[in-house]
Amino acid sequence: MKVKKALVMTFLLTFMLSFTICNNTLAQEMPSDLIGNIIQYDPSVPLNNGEDITVELWYWTGAANLFESLATKYMAIHPNVTIRLVENPWDDYWTKLPLALQGSDGPAIFNIHNSHHENLIGYLAPYDIPVGDLEAEFTGVSGHLIDGKIYYTDYGLMTGTVYYNTDMWAAAGLTKADIPTTWDEFREVAKRLTIRKDGKLIQAGYSYNGGIQGDVLGMNYQYGQNLFTWDNKISLNNDAMNMVIQRLKDMYEKDGVCDYNFGNNAGDNFGQGLVAMYLGWGFMTNVFGQNFPNTPFECFEIPTPTNDIPYAFHRYNGESTFGVNKNAPADQQSIAQDIILFFLANDAIQKEFCLVNAVFPMKVTLQDDDELLSIPSVAILKDHIDRYIWPGPMPSTVEDNIKIALENIFYNNEDITKALTMAEKAINEDLEYSDFTSQEPMYKYASEAKK
Amino acid sequence: MQGHHRGKKVLRNSSEVALRSIAVFLMSVFFLLFFAVPIGIAFIGSFHQWNPLKQQFDFLGMRNWNRIFANGLFWHSMKNTFVFAMIAVFFRVILGLILAHVLHSKLIKHKSVYRTLYYLPTITPMVAVAFVWKFIFDPRIGLLNRLLNSDINWLYDGRYALAAMLILTIWKDFGYAVVILLGGLYSLPTECFEAAEIDGANSWQRFTRLTLPLLRPMVLFVIIVSLISYFQAYIPVMVLTQGGPGTQTYLVTYLIYKEAFSKYNFGYASALSFIVFVFIAILTAVTFKISGKNVPF
Repeated sequence: MKVKKALVMTFLLTFMLSFTICNNTLAQEMPSDLIGNIIQYDPSVPLNNGEDITVELWYWTGAANLFESLATKYMAIHPNVTIRLVENPWDDYWTKLPLALQGSDGPAIFNIHNSHHENLIGYLAPYDIPVGDLEAEFTGVSGHLIDGKIYYTDYGLMTGTVYYNTDMWAAAGLTKADIPTTWDEFREVAKRLTIRKDGKLIQAGYSYNGGIQGDVLGMNYQYGQNLFTWDNKISLNNDAMNMVIQRLKDMYEKDGVCDYNFGNNAGDNFGQGLVAMYLGWGFMTNVFGQNFPNTPFECFEIPTPTNDIPYAFHRYNGESTFGVNKNAPADQQSIAQDIILFFLANDAIQKEFCLVNAVFPMKVTLQDDDELLSIPSVAILKDHIDRYIWPGPMPSTVEDNIKIALENIFYNNEDITKALTMAEKAINEDLEYSDFTSQEPMYKYASEAKK
Repeated sequence: MQGHHRGKKVLRNSSEVALRSIAVFLMSVFFLLFFAVPIGIAFIGSFHQWNPLKQQFDFLGMRNWNRIFANGLFWHSMKNTFVFAMIAVFFRVILGLILAHVLHSKLIKHKSVYRTLYYLPTITPMVAVAFVWKFIFDPRIGLLNRLLNSDINWLYDGRYALAAMLILTIWKDFGYAVVILLGGLYSLPTECFEAAEIDGANSWQRFTRLTLPLLRPMVLFVIIVSLISYFQAYIPVMVLTQGGPGTQTYLVTYLIYKEAFSKYNFGYASALSFIVFVFIAILTAVTFKISGKNVPF
């Protein structure tokens, strides 16, 4: 009897001990600490009933490390989930992805760029995260609401800023105090930074060669002029746009800060040390860092017509959060929703994505982060982040046609009004076949726009 | 009996008949699947607002077609394409003819070396070549401006941009004409030339009176193949100018590309493609008509 009792006791002890060890192992693999503040992720919740599952995550070429990092962190918490990363070149991505999403074997989760909104929105499942929670933690969520649901939003904001070569700046006797805030000041500084030798341009004070369409579409806001009318037609031939383009022309033709033959890519020419100032979007921070590591540069905010706070400094565009494929099997969709929750709740991952893409964080908790604010193109946005406007996911025809108009004006000497009228007509013809809806009315200061 | 079978190929046995039938069947299936059906779908699609990426296929009637003919950019692109194709074909044939003739002459040694050198650009991928030429055309650091001691913005000056595309295209393609025409020259009957020489014809007379007429089928072949290819030219625009400055270098194939893969307006792009298809067909027919017959294909 005693032997039997001893055996039972031994068995019970062994069982309890092994359970404890096992539990500890589980506890190590499944951290129980909640991640996040309002949007919270509970890593201890088992997924897919603990059964193995594989989901595909598609993204375009450029930042593979980011996606690998996200997948590794997620799979460390959920060993039964395998995230298969599929990379495609940018152009291929936008034809392959929508076609893949039409079937049931497309990727469960994928990277989104809002310029392809129209082709993707029909395949997206809304986020499971309550909209209120998203709005509380992320800036700009309201612009992405569709019938009260969020299909994707932005984790980072990017816009146009002025990059300047600090060596050239110092060589011209300029200091931080000379950083221009108005366009008149900018033109004066550009003149000082321009160097000619025997009449030949050696160093351009400012160059926009090779395309400035991305920035011209946005400078109009400084004059209170929206890009779109209430019925979603574009408005280009207006006083604001005429003034913006005339000023750019004058900088070359009257001020002589550059000429149209001085290189065909102002960004590259800035990196090569031929151009002192360049107006480019935030991603150029990384381009310069990678391609031209020896070019010293800083940034300042885009100048405005006067020192008064404008209707908006510029337009911005967001780096989008992931999309969930509504045609994917339910178990894969569930994992995709969980990855998005993990991604949005996790400040460290949000910060990693913002750092790599040099974008201003949309997550409120990161907007004062010192490391992020050490990125020159990010730091300058902090003071008036609310004065940047998102016009919505503009179809490609908008940028294509303004590019044609600007080249006709700058290179083919076409009249500004004529070129803008042609572009306006071409864009509006295309918009007739588009579902595009301007987000300008959603802007915080929309009521200040010119009527 | 023998006369009865003259001109007809007698099939030897049933396995040959089977093999022929299978080959014809497979070719027909291939043609149907990859040519006839897509062309048919594209034709139907040209009457629709068609975006396969969002599964949109809405009937528009003749709207796409009407838009094309009312679109100034279409006519401008067609004019550019026509000019581009004519100049490129002209120089490809002329250069090809001259160099083939020179290589055919007994005075030239190491002919295979020259043949290889001339043909090298033809077998090099167009995209790679176009990127190299983009540097050559650069207004600041480009080789061409240095050689010419000029200050031309080849790709952004409307007066030169199309010419720059032509320079690249002709440089890339003349080797093809050289090889084809050289092959043609080697196949010409030597007796005619010997007889002409005995009769006192000088080299110019032999070239104009004998070589050219005898070579006409090969020249026509090069012209037609070049016309078809240049009406579909797209890579030089894509890499060098993207249609610019403004729309100065828009070719119709680039317009089709922009409509299909930038605006995802496949219906409109299909209608444009059909117009180009018909245009090339007419141009080929006209070329046949003008030049006579005897094309070796």
